[in-house]
Amino acid sequence: MKAAVDKGLRTGVIFGIIIVVIFLIGFTVTGAVLLGKLFGVSTPNNTMPSLTFFTLFMILIGVWTGTTAAQRSFFEADTWARAITAGVSAGAVSGLLAAVIGFLFGDLNVNKIDPRTYLPSVSPESIKMFLFERDPLTGSLMIFALLIFSALAGAVLSYFLRNNNGLKSGARAATDSISGVIHSERMTSLLQNKYARYVLLLVVAAILLILPRTWGSYWNYVFGTVGIYIILGLGLNIITGWAGQLVIGYVSFFAVGAYTFALLTAPEPHHIMMNFWLALGLGVLVAGISGLLIGLPILNLRGDYLAIVTLGFAEIIRILLKSDLMTPYTAGPRGVRDIAGPTLMGKPFISDVDFMYLIILAILVVTFLANRLQNSRTGKAWYAINLDETVARATGINAFASKLLALSLSAAVAGLAGALFASRNQFTGPDDHALMVSINVICLVIVGGIGNIPGIFLGAFALKGLPEILRETESYRLLIFGVLLIVMMRLRPEGFLPAKRPELEKAAAQKPLGKEA
Amino acid sequence: MDKPTSTSAPGKLRLDHYLRSFAGILAGLFLLWRLYTALIVEQQFGADTWVRFALSGLILGGMYALIAIGYTLVYGIMFMINFAHGEVMMLGAFGGFFTFEALRFIPAPTSAIPDLNFLDAHPIISVILAFAVGISVSATAGYFLEKIAYRPLRKAPRLILLITAIGASIFLQNLAMLLFGPQRKNVVNPDLLDRGAGWTVTVSGNPVLISYTGIFSLVLSAVLMIGLYILVQQTKLGRAMRAVAQDKNTASLMGVDVDDVISKTFVISGALAGAAGVMWAIHMGLVNHYTGFLPGIKAFTAAVMGGIGNIPGAMLGGMLLGVIEAVGPAALGIDFQLKDVIAFSILVLVLIVRPSGILGEKLSEEKL
Amino acid sequence: MSACIETKQVSKIFGGLTAVNSVDVVVTEHSIASIIGPNGAGKTTLFNCISGYYIPEQGQIEFYGEPIQGQPTYAVATMGIARTYQNIRLFGDMTAIENVMVGQYPRFKAGWVDAILSTPRERNEERQAIEEGRRLLKFVGLEGMGDTLARNLPYGAQRRLEIARALANKPRLLLLDEPTAGMNPQETDQMTHFIRNVRDELGITILLIEHDMNVVMGISDQITVLDYGTKIAEGKPKDIQSNQRVIEAYLGPDVTSLTKKYQTRKKQRHDVKS
Repeated sequence: MKAAVDKGLRTGVIFGIIIVVIFLIGFTVTGAVLLGKLFGVSTPNNTMPSLTFFTLFMILIGVWTGTTAAQRSFFEADTWARAITAGVSAGAVSGLLAAVIGFLFGDLNVNKIDPRTYLPSVSPESIKMFLFERDPLTGSLMIFALLIFSALAGAVLSYFLRNNNGLKSGARAATDSISGVIHSERMTSLLQNKYARYVLLLVVAAILLILPRTWGSYWNYVFGTVGIYIILGLGLNIITGWAGQLVIGYVSFFAVGAYTFALLTAPEPHHIMMNFWLALGLGVLVAGISGLLIGLPILNLRGDYLAIVTLGFAEIIRILLKSDLMTPYTAGPRGVRDIAGPTLMGKPFISDVDFMYLIILAILVVTFLANRLQNSRTGKAWYAINLDETVARATGINAFASKLLALSLSAAVAGLAGALFASRNQFTGPDDHALMVSINVICLVIVGGIGNIPGIFLGAFALKGLPEILRETESYRLLIFGVLLIVMMRLRPEGFLPAKRPELEKAAAQKPLGKEA
Repeated sequence: MDKPTSTSAPGKLRLDHYLRSFAGILAGLFLLWRLYTALIVEQQFGADTWVRFALSGLILGGMYALIAIGYTLVYGIMFMINFAHGEVMMLGAFGGFFTFEALRFIPAPTSAIPDLNFLDAHPIISVILAFAVGISVSATAGYFLEKIAYRPLRKAPRLILLITAIGASIFLQNLAMLLFGPQRKNVVNPDLLDRGAGWTVTVSGNPVLISYTGIFSLVLSAVLMIGLYILVQQTKLGRAMRAVAQDKNTASLMGVDVDDVISKTFVISGALAGAAGVMWAIHMGLVNHYTGFLPGIKAFTAAVMGGIGNIPGAMLGGMLLGVIEAVGPAALGIDFQLKDVIAFSILVLVLIVRPSGILGEKLSEEKL
Repeated sequence: MSACIETKQVSKIFGGLTAVNSVDVVVTEHSIASIIGPNGAGKTTLFNCISGYYIPEQGQIEFYGEPIQGQPTYAVATMGIARTYQNIRLFGDMTAIENVMVGQYPRFKAGWVDAILSTPRERNEERQAIEEGRRLLKFVGLEGMGDTLARNLPYGAQRRLEIARALANKPRLLLLDEPTAGMNPQETDQMTHFIRNVRDELGITILLIEHDMNVVMGISDQITVLDYGTKIAEGKPKDIQSNQRVIEAYLGPDVTSLTKKYQTRKKQRHDVKS
């Protein structure tokens, strides 16, 4: 029983701190708003969400505390008593911490001291909500009670679910039958059916063609950004996902592509006014060459050093772009304006719908190329270098040349994304090319599933699409991603959609083995 | 003979070697040209300005050195780059800031000055408190960082550790931003350590200010560096740290609690960063969630420049980088805007031309 | 018959430690040669010099007359030297057949442009690679396991896969580093037969590091003995078995007197009994 109390106390402290932090960063409000949204109740801007949802939010946290505390332990038998003890102690400690914080801040409210001078996310309203709109003493007691009871409930619930065999086998039977249907012969043969594939393709194509016309320019913009990040992700995937070299300064190639395109098509500072497609091509080419040049001196460095060197390059490029020194060449901190939009045979097709089509086309092209590369001899060489560079070398792969190729191709793809980005915004400046872009791309590649193409689509949607849909989480986006990175490296480094190796032997085994060569 | 950062053989090693030497020579020539132009041809600045630059460089260098030691300690013992180290420093800076703020609101009236606050009334205690708080915050942050994020991945490939560190850095930065807001906060020093105050010396006819905060930072940095050196060289913990850095398994066989030593290393590294953070708050006067980013990278540059894994190297690198950064733009005749380019260029150049740094690096060769 | 691989006074020095000291080894083509010696004798270091991972401080290494010392490992592999490792080093997250296909890398030519454009060269080479891969897997007894992830294969299968990957290079020289480590007598027997098979059927010269003396004595045409980096003996199995220096290297310098004492004691007991 002692171990249960210990675990409970420890869990309680952890969750208590989490609750305090959530409160201090204002996520209590956001969480309640999101829950409200889940139930279809929207919260207008600048108003507080309903207390019900806040209560629900805290209950959920409490339950989570309880389930974590009551986890099965190595050292003790799993009993009711144990679960209850763990749950109650966890709930008590977290409740205590929450209550104390609530009381202290409630006191501030009473004395009309606004904490926002030092803690901008803690508004008097959020404090009131935390205390269930009561006075500090009552409010803190309430939150204490709430947390203890929901932790208890969580602990008991998890124990019950774990140990009730009827329920467990029932659940198992249900999931088995569902996965049975999914993996059944009918399904697999259906999916492999050529016609079914074509139908699926047609549906997707139809969606891609129709949606941009119908959902308005706002969504075209949002998903256009998602699209550009998909392209960036596909590019980074080549050098980092397949070849295994982390390149923190990936944004440098984005910048090269964007600025090459911009400077070739904008009236200032150079007034070259090149044709869109030509400039686009040059943007890609110059970016690719920059990848080659930057790669030459650094690709022999060990992993972490390589990563940091690229960071150095990226910052140097950004600072130079922003400096007065380079302004006559690069238009300096103001950026390049009036960049050309795409034209097809003389006719500009600059509307947001058309640009969306362009981005979709670019994604299709890059995905196609990436797919071909992944399964080729070159792609295997990259993956071999990733897994064990020394052995890859010993089997005959010129690792340096191979990595250089990967970096150049990655850079070229980033250049494409950069040029498209500049063209769409009709503007680009040094602030578009901050390190944050690289970090975003790294996050999406890793979280989605490092090395694998569907994962990148997923990651890009999650990183850039979701915050738009869940507007409230905008300011917490990076915080969540930071946590995700840490958690995923620990639990699931292969990403949410892990890459599966192709089944080459099975495919080839359709035909019997030929004679000896 | 074997270069630490490239395995396998000379066919490539030769080209590699040439490329690197070429890069180095190019860089050297460029620097010489700029130095010549700025110092001999244009001669824009008088001796007093140079002294001013050098002084601020030393002060800055002291802080960089403390942070750089943190990087080097962690790298030596775990062969990982603690990307989140800059954020640890930032947390320490916030600790110092909040201490000052808190003390500012405690009234300590005297008969002479009725509205005196604690901060100005007892500046020495206040400063000590600020450092205590800042160092504790950073040390704790370092401890939990290791415990939660890095320890479970002890055996993981380095790429994964680096990504985790990046994740931790992003997390801490954004946490600070969400907690304290993105605006930079003004650090109000006790009157005694007022930012503009100090001794004045005359150099070639012009006054040069030696600020109190500056001298204080410099002296404290030196004290801490000496303290750390003694710790590493003379104490039992220091011996254990060196043993674990050399050979984890053997140290463990000799009775060293490796986990504990690693934990303590992170605590010490955090503490030093915290001290640097508080110094930064006192001397520079502005803190926000981003405060740790640039000094973090620059301190890392310094650590690499001195030879990562090498403690005197980190100290040397830090001081050197501080001075170069302060004196550089003027000496090279380039815009002050490009100050950071100097640091990043040094980073890039050192890693390309001489990754083992000035005083040499710890080798980690794989066994075939 | 010509010499397949020849090391001429090769030395490898790490700071203060001379791991390999002026070693001369000549291996005739199509033969099976073994390098033996106590742990730390420098056997793997010598391998590493041959495969190009180390640059010897002194001496030459010639492969069919061509000097190869100092060449990068990928060049050495392209010339036709393949190796396996003491602790198996497969590409764990690749399937078995993919591992073999990586081994084929230097023999094919399709590049990234071929990949993107899906040229006939790419398609043909891919088909050929898979077929050869399947054949090799069958040869080493892993038919049907081609799509299993390498790290999920059982230990013995992993060893065989590593050899398959090496053979995929169609090498002229195969360096095997302790191929029977961790195997029971039955598996060791199979591996011994297999190694002999590789030489007999494929004509590949084999250079072997081994600790299992049954294996060494059973299949070697020639044995070289290293101790503390120096060659102390070389010859046919029979000669090595009775070589005093070799015995002492393994069992210690007192072994001669100990053996005498043992034999005397044995004789005494025998006399007492009778």
